[in-house]
Amino acid sequence: MDSSVPRFPVTYKSLSLDIKGNKTDVVLCSYDDHFLVIATQIGAMGTILHARKEEGVSIEPTFNVSAVFGKRDEPMLLACARQLIQHISISGSSRSLVISLGLKDHSAETLKGVVSAVIENRLW
Amino acid sequence: MAREEPDVEALNEEISSDLVFNDEVKDGGGVQITCFSEVVNDVALHFQILRLPKQIYVWIGCDSAKLGRIYAAAPTRPKDMISVTSILGGASDNTGAGIARRLVLKTGLNIILACNIPKNSPMLEAEAEKMLVQKLIQLGYARAKAEGSSS
Repeated sequence: MDSSVPRFPVTYKSLSLDIKGNKTDVVLCSYDDHFLVIATQIGAMGTILHARKEEGVSIEPTFNVSAVFGKRDEPMLLACARQLIQHISISGSSRSLVISLGLKDHSAETLKGVVSAVIENRLW
Repeated sequence: MAREEPDVEALNEEISSDLVFNDEVKDGGGVQITCFSEVVNDVALHFQILRLPKQIYVWIGCDSAKLGRIYAAAPTRPKDMISVTSILGGASDNTGAGIARRLVLKTGLNIILACNIPKNSPMLEAEAEKMLVQKLIQLGYARAKAEGSSS
């Protein structure tokens, strides 16, 4: 048995696209218990949000979304995280989401662009 | 869960301001991803380094591919002191916080570190940090010699 180096266990994808004229780098990583999404236009991770599904008694799952670093009162960012965790849940995964958004503007168009780029390239 | 609010605000300020790197950035922007794994005493250590123009995200995995605890660290005013805050995973286990802090010291960059090394494993932590720093120097993201508090 050769003592070979173990395979790197995290699947990830990196892409770049244009949203409203701004170059946007998107990175998606799939860990055992989380998905990590980074969407940046500013060269840094920006605001980091955590979204998770809460298994409750009722049939409908509830989601908990909060900004854990950076701008904490940006509703568009929370909405973006919420949409994605919902998509993850519908796709059958109960993993949580850590998403970091370093965007030049928080317009609906930009966030929609981010959400569709992530869904198009999703790892779930 | 108590958050160190003043430190986080200072961190936010730093991260949103323009930090100029002394090292040359290889790409003209964009993300560089470097992944590698090593075995230390029968334990597999996995490293993922994401280089953004103004920040570095690092994940350290110990045997598993769980995300682990996340810390943010950056030099903050006054006097370029390093501030570290726990973003995810709670503050009862600070494994990784020290690594994040020393990475900032060695690289001068804002660092987001995710680490799932179990607590009470100082040797493993130290080994992981050593390998990480070696790789960062190799990639040109870190200064080979600590220049103390510059910038």
